[in-house]
Amino acid sequence: MNPEPFLQIDRVIHEKGRLAIMSMLAASPVLSFTEMRDALNMTDGNLTTHIRTLQETGYVSVTKSFQNNRPLTTCSLTAEGKKAFTSYIDLLEQIIRQNRPGQK
Amino acid sequence: MVMESNWAAEHLQVIRTLMERAALYRRALAPIMIFNGVTGLAAAALGWTLKVGSPRGFILYWAGVSGVTMAGSFLLVRRQALKDSEPFWSPPTRRVIQALLPPVVAGLLISAVVLMNVRSAPADLGDAMGMFWLPLSWVVLYGCAFHAAGFFMLRGMKLFGWAFILAGCGVFALGIPDWARPLDYAHGIMGFFFGGLHLAYGVYLYFTEQRRNDA
Repeated sequence: MNPEPFLQIDRVIHEKGRLAIMSMLAASPVLSFTEMRDALNMTDGNLTTHIRTLQETGYVSVTKSFQNNRPLTTCSLTAEGKKAFTSYIDLLEQIIRQNRPGQK
Repeated sequence: MVMESNWAAEHLQVIRTLMERAALYRRALAPIMIFNGVTGLAAAALGWTLKVGSPRGFILYWAGVSGVTMAGSFLLVRRQALKDSEPFWSPPTRRVIQALLPPVVAGLLISAVVLMNVRSAPADLGDAMGMFWLPLSWVVLYGCAFHAAGFFMLRGMKLFGWAFILAGCGVFALGIPDWARPLDYAHGIMGFFFGGLHLAYGVYLYFTEQRRNDA
């Protein structure tokens, strides 16, 4: 068993809430704060905290604008975020492959 | 070791589910269906009452009705986007519109061709083209449009599309009944499919969405 993939796991993405945010943003180029909050059943505070962490790591960019005089907050993955998410998926696949019968 | 593998597989499954969910369109579906259903039923009743019975009149009348339903649907989507502080032209909205577009354009082109030819055609053929075949073509193409859009919407949308396709083809296969007058038949088909079916599905969506929100 090679412990290498486990050691490489990105702890920022690995947290359940942040993984959910990253997964949704990986599927849709731009999502609004409310769309993510409703889809993930998170509170405003919880979602804000996770997004801030992802933003500080450089994985997510946040844009604030106005739509018909109402504030609109949208999030998207940065290039670095996309790369980190892809690496995370690759690691999971590597772990599965490694533990298949007949694999060392 | 197997435990780690299961854990990784479960994580991948969660990621896949979330990615699918993010790509789904789910905005104002029940209000749109109910609005289109009520408009369809009212338009069928009005068309029948006003005796819009010539093929040209029928095509232009229902083109106007479809313009009203499209404008109404647009406003309902926009209203919900504003209410929820979401961008109107979101990626799922864009995908749904792109999926709807080819059958809708095909329907428009076929209608334009029929519209241009019914006047010069013999009366029986004009009635058959404009009042019997064309409404059923709309039904089948509409079903195709919804089935295509269903890949980016709730699973039930694809079934809704199939219902239009199969029922439309079934009515085609049955042929034109001897007793059918163009006026009754054409508005009846439009009222049943674009009014009744939409309204029934809209009411179903309204209650299932409410139950999901309450849970």
